[in-house]
Amino acid sequence: MALAGLIITFLGFVISVASLGMSSSVGGRMVIVLIGLAVSLGGIIGLINPGFQKKAPWRK
Amino acid sequence: MTRRIALLAVTLMMVSLAWAQAPATPPAAAPEAPAAAAPATPPVAITDKDLTSIPTPSADARAKGDPDGSLTGNVSDVVVSDSKKGLTVGDLVNQVGQNRVAINFVWTLVAGFLVMFMQAGFAIVETGLCRAKNANHTMMMNFMVYGVGMLAYWLIGFAIQMGGVGALGTLGSTPVLGGEYAITLFGKTFGLWGQNGLFLMHKGTYDVAVMVMFLFQMVFMDTALTIVTGTVAERWKYLAFMVSSFFMGAVIYPLFANWAWGGGWLANLGANFNLGHGYADFAGSGVVHSVGGVTALAMGMLLGPRLGKYERSGKPNVILGHDIVLVLLGCFILAFGWFGFNPGSTLAASGNGALRIGSVAVDTMLAGMTGSFGAMLYMWMRYGKPDASMSGNGLLAGLVAITAPSGFVNPVGAAIIGLIAGVLVCVSVEFVDRVLRVDDPVGAISVHGANGLWGVISVGLFADGKSNYGGSWNGVAGSVTGLFYGDASQLVAQLIGVATLVGFVFSFALATNWVVDILVGQRVGAKAELEGLDMPEMGALGYPEFELKASAARM
Repeated sequence: MALAGLIITFLGFVISVASLGMSSSVGGRMVIVLIGLAVSLGGIIGLINPGFQKKAPWRK
Repeated sequence: MTRRIALLAVTLMMVSLAWAQAPATPPAAAPEAPAAAAPATPPVAITDKDLTSIPTPSADARAKGDPDGSLTGNVSDVVVSDSKKGLTVGDLVNQVGQNRVAINFVWTLVAGFLVMFMQAGFAIVETGLCRAKNANHTMMMNFMVYGVGMLAYWLIGFAIQMGGVGALGTLGSTPVLGGEYAITLFGKTFGLWGQNGLFLMHKGTYDVAVMVMFLFQMVFMDTALTIVTGTVAERWKYLAFMVSSFFMGAVIYPLFANWAWGGGWLANLGANFNLGHGYADFAGSGVVHSVGGVTALAMGMLLGPRLGKYERSGKPNVILGHDIVLVLLGCFILAFGWFGFNPGSTLAASGNGALRIGSVAVDTMLAGMTGSFGAMLYMWMRYGKPDASMSGNGLLAGLVAITAPSGFVNPVGAAIIGLIAGVLVCVSVEFVDRVLRVDDPVGAISVHGANGLWGVISVGLFADGKSNYGGSWNGVAGSVTGLFYGDASQLVAQLIGVATLVGFVFSFALATNWVVDILVGQRVGAKAELEGLDMPEMGALGYPEFELKASAARM
C-alpha cells in the first residue's frame, strides 16, 4: 500500500511537469498542476501514511 | 472575554493590513510642463596626468595620528600596478571593481556566519522540546549534522547544486561553474544537475568567488538537514541518522537546489515557458525549509510515533518537552540568524539592486513578528492561554514563510504573509498530530514544511514588481510580480515548485530512507526508547545530576 502510494505521489509530480507540454495557457497549466498536486497529496495522505500506520506501535 | 479581545485584535490587524495593502490612488495628473532644456554638460575625461595632482596628506600630518579619520583612506591607499608609472586611470577602475566585489564577499561571508549560528538555535529548540532523557542524543544529532552535511556537500553536493550555474555575477565573473547536465523536454532545455566543483578543486573551481559561494550555500544546506532531526527525535537510531543525513546533503537537497538556484529547469520556467520569472525562491522557503519539511514528513511516517504518543484508540497524548527556556532562547537565536539567511541571499551589498537588503531585513523581522502574534492569538482563543512553544513556532513559521518572498514583497505583504503563517502553523500542528497521526515532537513538519510551501506560493501572490536585481530575475527582464499585482503566470511557476517538492522531493526522500531502513534500521528498539536514548545510543547522559536527584527521590 505504501509502495503504491509512493508511485502515485511521484505520478502527481509527473502530471504537474507535463502541464508545461500539455497546455500553453496560464489557466490550463494551473489546473493541470493543481490536479498533479492533488494526486501527490492523495498518495501521501491516502496511501503512504495509512500503509505505514498499519504497523504503528499504538495499534498493537 | 479574553477570546473576544483576541478576536478583536486579529480582526483589527487583518483590516488594517488589507487597507494598507491596497494600491494608493494616484494623484490627478498635472498638466505636463514643457521640459526645461537641461544645460549640456560635456563629459569630463580623466587622464593619468590628472591623477598626479591629487593632494595627499603630508608625512608630518600623518605622524600625529588620525583621531577623526580624515587622513585615512585616500589616494595613497589605492593600489598601483606599476610604481614607475604611478597611479593610472586603470588602477582606479580596478580598485572600484575590487571594492564592489570585496563588499559583496564580506557581506555574503558574514551573512553565512550568521546562518551557521542558526545551528545552535535549532539544537536548543529541538532539545528543549524533547525530554531530558534524550538531551544528549538530540544535541549530538544537531551538532554532528553540521559535519556530516558539510562533508557530503563538499564531496558531491555542491557540484550537483551549483556546478552548472555559470558566472557568479555579484561575486566576480569567473565562469568556472559552467557544467550543467541537461535534457530536452517539450522542445526546451531542462537543466538537471551541475557537474563542476567536486571537492572544490574540480575543473578550476579552486577560486575565490566559488569559496564564498560554497560557504554560503553549505550553511543553507545544513539548515535543511537539521529540520529532519527534530521530527524523528527521541527514536532515531544514530547510525541511521548519519547515513540518511549524508545522503540528503549529497543528493536530495542539492538536486532541488540546482533546479531552483543552480540554473536548473525550475529557474528557467520563465525563460522557457513564459511562466513569470520562473520559480522564484529568494532565500529558500522551498529550497531549504520545504525540502527539510517534506523529508521530515516522510521520515515521520516511516519511523512511526514515539511509544506512548498515541493510545490504542488513536487519541494523541501530549509529551511535554523539558525546557521551554531553551526553546524560546533558541527561537531568538534563529530569528537573529535569519538576518543572514534572507538579506544575505542578495549575495551582494553593492550593485545589482542589492541596496534592497534593508527592505529584505525589515520584511523578515515584520513577518516573524506577525507570525508570533498569529500563533499566540490563535492558541489564546482556542485553548484559553497564550502557549509559549507555539508562540515560538509562530515566530519561526513567519520567518520560514517570508524566506522566499522577502526579496520581492513590500512590508505590508510581509506582515500578512507572516500572520497567515502564524495561524497556519497551529492548524497544521493539529492536523499532523490528530488527523495524520504523525508524531512530530518539535512541529518541524508544520513550521518548515507547511509554511515553506506557503512561502513559495506567497511569492506568486504578493510579489509587488518593485524589486530589481540587475534588471532581471532568472534570465527574464523586469521584476518578479505576483497575482495580486497582475501576473498570474508567476503563481503557476510557484505551484510547479510546490508540486515538485510534494511529488518529487517527498518521494525521493521516502524511497532512499526506506532503503536505509531496510539496510541498517531507522528506529531504535523499544527498550532503548523507554530508557531514553542518551545511554543506549550515546553512552552518556545529557544531565547526569538530574539523574542523581531523581534516584535520590526514588530512594
